[in-house]
Amino acid sequence: MERAIGSGIIWRADGLIVTCAHVVAGRGGARGAPMLRLADGRVLRGTMLACDRRVDLALLGVEAHDLPAAPIGDSDRLRAGELVLAVGHPFGLIGAVVTGVVHAASGPESRTDSPWIRADLRLAPGHSGGPMADARGRVVGVNTMIAGGLALAVPSRIVEALVERCRTR
Amino acid sequence: MQTLVSLSNDLASAVERAARAVVTVHARPRLPSTGVVWRPGLVVTAEHTVRLDSDIRVTWTDGHSAPATLVARDPGTDLAVLRVAEPGRPAAELGDSGALRVGHLALAVGYGPRASWGVISATGGPWRTWRGGDVDRLLRVDLVLYPGFSGGPLVDAAGAAVGLVTSGLSRQLELAVPASTVSRVLDELLTRGRVSRGYLGVGLQPVALTEAFKRIAPGAGLGLMVVSLEPDGPAASAGLLLGDVLTALEGAPLHDPGDVPSAIAGRPVGSTVRVSLIRGGSPLDVTVTVGERPSRKR
Repeated sequence: MERAIGSGIIWRADGLIVTCAHVVAGRGGARGAPMLRLADGRVLRGTMLACDRRVDLALLGVEAHDLPAAPIGDSDRLRAGELVLAVGHPFGLIGAVVTGVVHAASGPESRTDSPWIRADLRLAPGHSGGPMADARGRVVGVNTMIAGGLALAVPSRIVEALVERCRTR
Repeated sequence: MQTLVSLSNDLASAVERAARAVVTVHARPRLPSTGVVWRPGLVVTAEHTVRLDSDIRVTWTDGHSAPATLVARDPGTDLAVLRVAEPGRPAAELGDSGALRVGHLALAVGYGPRASWGVISATGGPWRTWRGGDVDRLLRVDLVLYPGFSGGPLVDAAGAAVGLVTSGLSRQLELAVPASTVSRVLDELLTRGRVSRGYLGVGLQPVALTEAFKRIAPGAGLGLMVVSLEPDGPAASAGLLLGDVLTALEGAPLHDPGDVPSAIAGRPVGSTVRVSLIRGGSPLDVTVTVGERPSRKR
């Protein structure tokens, strides 16, 4: 049975998947064990390792050790105007790509109070949890929502911090 | 991939170059707008975003802030000019807005700086805005004008300002005022304090001409009936009356209600124009001295 689908990112080859909390957790709490379909056709059952609703991130584990992990970029070095692209499954369409540019620089150096990467990029429902990548194809954020026409992504720096917290626990 | 990376870097560099001359304009409550240092000490912004006449401040992207004084406005082209006592701050590099072609990459830069990316989606000839201003060239862009972007530069791939984006000239379309128009209006505002436009002082209503009218005025297309007259305005002073049906200007038949304002606005104030009309079933030519359109009451 196909329910609402979102996107996810293979963060580590040993079975760590990153997605949005709102993709895997319903209003009543964790939805349990989401099914994950990989690009190579494999279907795996994920287990919830961590879920932080505040930053809208969830970490899932799968039983696999040979996954093609995404290269991770530096979300603190984004410049306004540089190209970004998002891959996801808008309205269930698998692997659709949209391109745009970084709307405003983010990171500790910038004088913005927004914790998100803001991009001039047309996201749609189903992109949630998928990667926002730079021109080299490195993941710089996790697409989380659309606000005022802008695509918002959780910076990869915040994802890495959550991954670290999860590992050391 | 290298091509993509260098395109990405070029775009970011274009934003950076343009952003040196981009300021935040604090001239209305809540949402600020964007302005461009068009020439040293002179900031151009979108007129509709300047709600204050004094106590205006501008802020550069590095956080430096300075008071600005309103020099002049031209609501017709939605441009306002502010003066800032910051001669050292660089002015925008201006590009050739006439060279833009449909499909050229374009960026809009808002205060911050913030970027919006797209292409020139349509170009066209000179046009008149709904506010009565003359724009050298139609520039329609396929990019999102986010809140606060009005007054910001339209930037080409090299980072040069080729226009000013504004949401004030169309509700539906994303438009830019070409750099050539901005510079022309700026010159006029600096020398005269306003952009003067020719004016007749008549309200006109299109009327279909019956066969009888067409016999009186052969070759006439559309009739425009005078339904209001500005007291002591140019048309009233020339003797036009309510109910007169205009059929031609300088011998050129009228086809569209916009023909009269567009023909008159471009004429020098003080020049004369021959107006052909039908009054009481008879053709009549009246010479009207073009007046200057009074500034809009705010």
